[in-house]
Amino acid sequence: MSTTEAPPANGRHSMGQPMKRKEDARFIAGKGRYIDDIVLPNMLYLAIVHSDYPHAKITKIDKDAALKIPGVLAVITADDLAGVGLAWIPTFHGYDKQMVLAVGKVLYQYQEVAAVVATSRAAAADGVEAVVVEYEQLTPVVDPFTAKTDKTLVREDRENKTNHIYHWEVGKRAETDAAIAASDVKINERVYFQRCHPAPLEPCGCVADMNPATGTLTLYMTSQAPHAHRTVVSLVTGIPEDKIHVISPDIGGGFGNKVPVYAGYVCSAVASIVTGHPIKWIETRTENLTTTGFARDYTMDVEIGATKDGKVTALKVTTHADHGAFDAAADPTKYPAGMFGICTGSYDFPVAFTELDAYFTNKAPGGVAYRCSFRVTEASYAIERGMDLLANALGMDPADVRMKNFVRKDQFPYPSPLGFVYDSGDYHTTLQKALDKVGYKELRKEQAEKRARGELMGIGISTFTEVVGAGPSKHFDIMGIKMFDSAEIRIHPTGSGIVRAGTKSQGQGHETTWAQIVAEELGLDPQNLLVEEGDTDTAPYGLGTYASRSTPVAGAALAMAARRVREKARNIAAHVMEAPLDDVEWVDYKFQVKGVPSKTVTMKEIAFAAYTNPGPNEPGLEATYYYDPPNLTFPYGAYIAVVDVDKDTGETKVRRFLAIDDCGTVINPMIVEGQIHGGLTEGFAIAFMQEIAYDAEGNNLQPNFTEYLIPTSLESPHWETDSTCNPSPHHPIGAKGVGESPNVGSPAAFVNAVMDALSPLGIKNIDMPLTRSKVWSAIQEATKA
Amino acid sequence: MNLEWHGHEEVGTSKAQLWAFISDPKSVADCVPDLVEAVVEDATHFDAIVSVGVGPVRGKFKLKIELEPQSDGNRMNMKISGGGLGSTVDLLAGADLTDHGATTSLDWTGTATMRGKIASLAGRVIDAQAQRVITTTFANVKARCASASA
Repeated sequence: MSTTEAPPANGRHSMGQPMKRKEDARFIAGKGRYIDDIVLPNMLYLAIVHSDYPHAKITKIDKDAALKIPGVLAVITADDLAGVGLAWIPTFHGYDKQMVLAVGKVLYQYQEVAAVVATSRAAAADGVEAVVVEYEQLTPVVDPFTAKTDKTLVREDRENKTNHIYHWEVGKRAETDAAIAASDVKINERVYFQRCHPAPLEPCGCVADMNPATGTLTLYMTSQAPHAHRTVVSLVTGIPEDKIHVISPDIGGGFGNKVPVYAGYVCSAVASIVTGHPIKWIETRTENLTTTGFARDYTMDVEIGATKDGKVTALKVTTHADHGAFDAAADPTKYPAGMFGICTGSYDFPVAFTELDAYFTNKAPGGVAYRCSFRVTEASYAIERGMDLLANALGMDPADVRMKNFVRKDQFPYPSPLGFVYDSGDYHTTLQKALDKVGYKELRKEQAEKRARGELMGIGISTFTEVVGAGPSKHFDIMGIKMFDSAEIRIHPTGSGIVRAGTKSQGQGHETTWAQIVAEELGLDPQNLLVEEGDTDTAPYGLGTYASRSTPVAGAALAMAARRVREKARNIAAHVMEAPLDDVEWVDYKFQVKGVPSKTVTMKEIAFAAYTNPGPNEPGLEATYYYDPPNLTFPYGAYIAVVDVDKDTGETKVRRFLAIDDCGTVINPMIVEGQIHGGLTEGFAIAFMQEIAYDAEGNNLQPNFTEYLIPTSLESPHWETDSTCNPSPHHPIGAKGVGESPNVGSPAAFVNAVMDALSPLGIKNIDMPLTRSKVWSAIQEATKA
Repeated sequence: MNLEWHGHEEVGTSKAQLWAFISDPKSVADCVPDLVEAVVEDATHFDAIVSVGVGPVRGKFKLKIELEPQSDGNRMNMKISGGGLGSTVDLLAGADLTDHGATTSLDWTGTATMRGKIASLAGRVIDAQAQRVITTTFANVKARCASASA
């Protein structure tokens, strides 16, 4: 994939060009404006008291010592919030409620118990240390597998006196069971996708600023979905939505972590309303890792049936989900397990069934879409591990098993047995390209030679299919708000313009790619198109950026809005060129009179005419579009990892990693490559380094970056990337989205490679993260036996 | 967080002398490393304040300690509970005494449950630190008992 900036085409950059990111000049120069850069006059600071224990009654909260500290003005508890009806707020999809500050008891270690407001950050921190909370410890519920029968209830507040939250299923149970039972070959393996955390480098924070004179609450916040947050704040506080102004400035990474509403936001807003001062709250790293939305924590039993020659007959996946103390998983309302039904992956299963049970435990709540569409990474991991286990059971090459069972190109649009209709793809070609590019046959030959010498070399394949772009309004909503998205374009008289969307970039490069889409549709210079997002007073209403929905939904809205602008411009062009409207056509980024190539007018010229000589047309040149997608999009890829495992130390070296992605039409290949590099690095970290683990007493064992590891360039492998292109037939520009594909597809490739390396020892599965000690222990156990 | 330790000391005193030493709360309290203060409540109970420095968790723990001499005189159990700094610890230690005439074998075990910040923030190093404390305690018992008997 080329990453060199190409010369402008036709005097401008347009879609498909590796245009440098417009926003980077600001970031490189240190001119980004993040939440903590915002300083308002008379601003106060808020810090939070957290629970030391995972499950305990609060017997006393003593504020006295804290209130004596110079600068400390107030200590807020749940009782104070109850007075304004904010002790509890609804969770993401509205099926549960969550405490803002602990009400009566704490439900997980580090839960927010009280908030201290002070005149300085240091005083607030001192106040936190001085608040005395007395607890009566309770037995914690830690294991989701015993949660259902545990005598201890995590949530006495709920009507149903059980730790079981819900059961969800899709597919044909009886037919699937029968098909598996009748199969020549069966695999049944439990795989665990561990609890991990998006860990954006900028933690969450806000500045809440209530203007007593106007009654307007301005919330500067780390928000991936500013409009949705404005609506939620209005619903839970009763403040009219026109009196709430959410501004999401530059964001230092989100990955799903900045979608939920957190205690700090609510307490800051309340404190600002009460004091009339702006209130700043900025998380610490430990607060971010221990209290904000985690991801995954799915234990999945994967069953696959197949014929002797390797043709799959059925798939069944049974999942236990640990949701922590509140059902706060970030999933659309009608999809409690997100898009987990994509677990049939890229394969043509005649029948399938999947079911899931979710449980409360005394752990932090979450289940956010960490760099993936809702629960797609878990599903992808299950099927891609399953296909390798099946290949192992069949004694077949894992590439051959995949080739034998892929959905064929002529089957698209492909209705999957679990309810999705895949839009487009050519899985055989993409995998073949990966096999050829990586030198698969030669690698297998090298592996055989190494195995003969007793060395452990592994090759892992993952041929995943994502489902992204939530979503079509007939199926997708969050608390009733349909998951469309929006764009607004205004072209100025001189041919520059402003582009606004309901999304919010956290590093994705929207300021560049959105400009490229509009520039392509209008024949304008993307450098002169200013992209604005994240301000609810100016941007059109949208559901934000997460779950790979921006390009599939807002990207489509941008193209459609631009086409509306172009249609209006065509009318003005007809006036300017004194030609009948039907004779004016759009050719090579200009309007031209049919059959008269010399008679043309550019969009820049039409923009000027729109304000100076519109003729019978309405002056001005702008349009808005709300796009409701007809279907989801289905990016996919073929990833191959090559690893060497040191038998004596358990250390795994990722020697090569090739990612072939098919995200349909590419807007900017340089940004796509950057997205893939970032996602692969996160996938590498999940596969080998990261887990938010709790001990048997409910203690969170990874509360900081000395325990929860972030790979640097020293640890990260070299990434090889390439692409194929099967555009989405229903998307206006054929794009599918790519930012999350590498995080979705890579963990299985890494694990499959390590398991392939260890297969001569009879080792079938080790759960992530594949740390040196876990791999070494497995080798020791296997060789001892 | 559940932890387990065990160890062995060969004490250069008679079993009776060792038994008398470990049955005395004041003597036992003095053997706890990093002891700041000890207040003997009665013949089998004392309160202790000890300095703690494990990873980022640094400060003082308040502990209640109960000696549980077994009637056969061969085993002493000790229950320790308490905490501080947003942490609690419940520790059950036991020591079996074996008479060798001039010397006595002291085989000890300890199991502890740690909760709160100390378990979360210092989980990686707490096992080694706690083992150091309990090992030092019994080593001190050996040294001071022998010294007191000399």
